[in-house]
Amino acid sequence: MSCDPERVTAYVDGALDAARYPELEAHLAACPECRAQAEAERELRARLKALPPPTPSAELEARVRASLRRRPRAATWLLPMAAGLVALLAWARGATPFVAWQLSRDHDHCFGQRRLPAQLWSGNPARVAEWFESRGTSVPVIPEAAGGLELVGGRYCPLLDRRVAHLYYSNGDHHLSLFLVPGPVRDVSRETRPRGNFVRLLRVGGTTVGLVSEEEEYVEAFRRALSTTVAWDLDRVDRVAR
Amino acid sequence: MRPAGLSRDKRFEAEALPHLKALYGTAYRMTRNAHDAEDLVQETFLRAYRAFDGYTPGTNIRAWLHTILYRVRTDAFRRAGRSPQTVELDGDGPAVAAPQDALASGGEDLVRALDGLPEAFRTAVVLRDVQELTYEEIARVLGVPIGTVMSRIHRGRALMRAALGGRKP
Repeated sequence: MSCDPERVTAYVDGALDAARYPELEAHLAACPECRAQAEAERELRARLKALPPPTPSAELEARVRASLRRRPRAATWLLPMAAGLVALLAWARGATPFVAWQLSRDHDHCFGQRRLPAQLWSGNPARVAEWFESRGTSVPVIPEAAGGLELVGGRYCPLLDRRVAHLYYSNGDHHLSLFLVPGPVRDVSRETRPRGNFVRLLRVGGTTVGLVSEEEEYVEAFRRALSTTVAWDLDRVDRVAR
Repeated sequence: MRPAGLSRDKRFEAEALPHLKALYGTAYRMTRNAHDAEDLVQETFLRAYRAFDGYTPGTNIRAWLHTILYRVRTDAFRRAGRSPQTVELDGDGPAVAAPQDALASGGEDLVRALDGLPEAFRTAVVLRDVQELTYEEIARVLGVPIGTVMSRIHRGRALMRAALGGRKP
């Protein structure tokens, strides 16, 4: 074999395949240069091994132990903080301003388009109720018209945290959205004006209803229409309870 | 076999912490300064503690710890936007058979020659000659093929021999 200095290194380190030893040893016996390399590398290895090891400061081990102990402590304050965040999110999710803002945004989104993005076109409340109920949404008694606005259709709309049934009422340039809102909504008594719209949340027969319009009179007309049928306004229930 | 009845923390203390000085030795040779070496070792033990469930009992824990040490070191380089020197020389470098008297000289020369190596070679030489890891273990630590390990050790030693031999006429 010809000289292969890297293989000589592996030989010195005992890292050569067993089958290659006889061949390499025969070569070393015949090649003074490779023999010298092997000898020098053994010498170097021995000297490196004999070097006094660098000594860490006396504090290193204590520092390492302390950093390991700090870990669980970090978790003990992180856990309540994470739980707090989750609770805050759950609380925010059901908060009226958050829900009202989302409904207002969806009202603008649907009525802002050139053509209403309805999944169902109908002015018949019974037919609209049937369509939503066959898809798992319970629908209270809803008006056919109020304040001069008429039912035209509806669709399901995705909000940030839930999906709502969105019913359209319209008369020319005047609009109102009636939303059936599943999931938690707290403190429905407040009237809010997110994004410049008038928003009213009511409890109607166990369902949370959201009314959204650019004009206050339509919201009021629908609130009256709903509460004179089967409805009760939680606002009033709250007031009576107090 | 996992010793029964010992908590994870106690096992880590019993199995990993005794290698602190050995790891510091490698870290010091890598960084060439005590402050960086101590930081490197501290971070290594913290990561090793987190990853301890991934360690297979009965295998060489010193090699496993060195794998983490090397990863911490390369991560630090990555964050700093540079890489450890990985100079690959063409050929074998200067083929100098160092005179025996140079090799027999004091430890200072030896340390200077070692410190003068590019880090990739220095690390390979230290893992082999000081830590006495096998080529297979070094390949796992560095994440390179065994052929590369052999080549780095060979070139590292050749450069050291040249540096040591070069001091004497």
